[in-house]
Amino acid sequence: MNPFHNADFFSFFALFFSRLFSWKSLAPDEIQFYVLSLIAIASSLIGTLLVLKRMTMLANSLSHTVLLGIVGAYLLLSNTGSLGPLTFQVLIVAALITGIITTLLTQLLHKVVKLQEDASIGIVFTSLFALGIVLVTLYTRNAHIGLEIIMGNADALHFNDLKVSLGVAVANACVLILFFKEWKLICFDQGLASSLNFRPSLFNNLLMLLTSATAISAFRAVGVILFLALLVGPPLTARLLTSNLRKLLVLSCAIGITSALLAIATARHILTVYSLPLSTAGLVVTYIGAFFLLALCVRNLTFRKISA
Amino acid sequence: MLEFFVDPILRAPTIGSMLMGLASGLIGCLAFLQKRSLVGEALSHAAYPGVVLGLVIAAAFFPGGISAAILVGAFLSGLLGLFVIHQMEKRLKIASDAALCFVLSVFFGVGVCIASGLQISHALWLQKIQVFLLGEAATMMDGHIFLYGGLTLACVLSVISLFRFLEILHFDPEYAKAVNLPSKAVHTILYILLMVAIVVGMRSVGVVLMSSMLIAPPSAARQWTTKFSSFLILSGALGLLSGFLGNALSVWSLAPLPTGPMIALVATAICLFSLFFAPERGFLPKLIRVTHFQLRCKQENILKALYKKRTINPNPYLLWRMRTKGWIKGEKLTPEGYSQAEKLVRLHRLWEVYLVHMGQESDRVHHSAEEMEHILTPEIEIQLQALLDNPTQDPHQQPIPGVSR
Repeated sequence: MNPFHNADFFSFFALFFSRLFSWKSLAPDEIQFYVLSLIAIASSLIGTLLVLKRMTMLANSLSHTVLLGIVGAYLLLSNTGSLGPLTFQVLIVAALITGIITTLLTQLLHKVVKLQEDASIGIVFTSLFALGIVLVTLYTRNAHIGLEIIMGNADALHFNDLKVSLGVAVANACVLILFFKEWKLICFDQGLASSLNFRPSLFNNLLMLLTSATAISAFRAVGVILFLALLVGPPLTARLLTSNLRKLLVLSCAIGITSALLAIATARHILTVYSLPLSTAGLVVTYIGAFFLLALCVRNLTFRKISA
Repeated sequence: MLEFFVDPILRAPTIGSMLMGLASGLIGCLAFLQKRSLVGEALSHAAYPGVVLGLVIAAAFFPGGISAAILVGAFLSGLLGLFVIHQMEKRLKIASDAALCFVLSVFFGVGVCIASGLQISHALWLQKIQVFLLGEAATMMDGHIFLYGGLTLACVLSVISLFRFLEILHFDPEYAKAVNLPSKAVHTILYILLMVAIVVGMRSVGVVLMSSMLIAPPSAARQWTTKFSSFLILSGALGLLSGFLGNALSVWSLAPLPTGPMIALVATAICLFSLFFAPERGFLPKLIRVTHFQLRCKQENILKALYKKRTINPNPYLLWRMRTKGWIKGEKLTPEGYSQAEKLVRLHRLWEVYLVHMGQESDRVHHSAEEMEHILTPEIEIQLQALLDNPTQDPHQQPIPGVSR
């Protein structure tokens, strides 16, 4: 029995915080919260780097092509005819397939075949996504699976997803903290980085791999397109308020987590009061959009104060 | 084949997909030339909340015009998305890629959120909306065809009437500025047309894969032509073809494959074929030309070495090719090979004389001549001889063979 059943917006928070340190087994709403916050943290951290390096369109490609990577990983690793639980083994293989195929094909079209860059990116990810949809439809014999992949289904999350998203979030945080100085250098001073004989391609590839892994850990919860909002939204919002990299990272994580918590509470409230089941993933993204508008207002107000 | 146009169930989806391909192939060209193809990706996703709201509002107030209301809603919300992207880029100085991604995903999220509210109370409405995600051409009726046909016709007519403007704007923006062309207005019209094309395509390809139809046909058409008008026509035609084939494949396939991905895959296949095999710009013909040229250079170098009685590095394949051309017999030059070698040495030394004539140091001209001897044509040779007054010696006091005094 879900203890959050029939809770409205405020009793949700009361219950949530009272249960926070009580070490009871996790309720579905709490699993959703932890998974979504971990995804939000993981994607805010690398999203900040992607936004600063202007590589978000590549992240858009990756978030579409993970579908093909996941299908590929299951074809390689499992012999049952269904998409089983997401294990770390599947995650790593799928992330490698996704990252390598997407980057290689895009580079091939752009550098070797000499197609202009925007078109190379666009053709690769749309066709790989279409291929992924066709394969997954044939593989699972389920005509509606495509929709779930696009939109995610936060209600179907379980404990295993928590483990995977925790792993990815920790990995992202470790890579970011260990190489903090290097990331800063690559993001802000490409010229210095190359004159120090520093190979940015290594870090670009690492970033691609982390992005694919994060997209895979996120796609069951929020789907391939809404993941992009978690990736780009919080850093852009934080960027309106601060220009310090550390603050940017912390603030965007905070925005992601807050959006997740508010979204789950709102979904629960609307379900209880109006009996309308809203998509939690959709609500998270809506909150991220709302936070962007809020930050814009805050920024405009402070700007006016300074100029007045 | 013919049943796709006659059968009362098949004809509407077929014609609808083809209209979609025509409109997006044509309008996609304009975004392609601006190198802003990915705007289509953002705008097609931004149209989704409009689809949902259009349906909800129409179903509540005037149930007769649902399909028109969906199109209007999608169009308006796409324009709102465009406005937001523009503001983010211009006012907030946010990088273009981030602005596109933000609008794409947040608008789509809002759409998903509203649509999910319908899942229990109005499951039928939700089904109608979800058609627009991955495309379901089979849901098209004859009535839709008139709607889409009208919109596609509007796209075609606008491109025809704006043709001169577009040509100048894309290929000579400096001139456009100088003669005070209303380039801002034309750009705005361009984006509005992009939105119309997206609206036409939503039902057959779906918003998620719409951008492939805006990108793949122009990329393919660009390989076959360099003329603006034929580029537009070819791209529209390839879009039309992908629409037909993709729809036919999804009808023929036994599994319930969604139409959108099939159309997108066909368009990509056409695009990849063009990228690799188009005779002028295709990758493989280019590769073959380059390899051919390199082989010729190597053979000519062997010829020169034989002429100068130097030892050669006998590559059996190259020697075999030279034998079939009649340049050598065994490992000795034939008369024909001898005159060919003479020509190469003549061109080499002529070019050296020319470079010295142009003011280069005589000890630095050899490398350039090593390359130019393979490239210079007989016409240039005659011009060089005339210009240099039939020289008989190169800058290193070596005779220039075969020059008539």
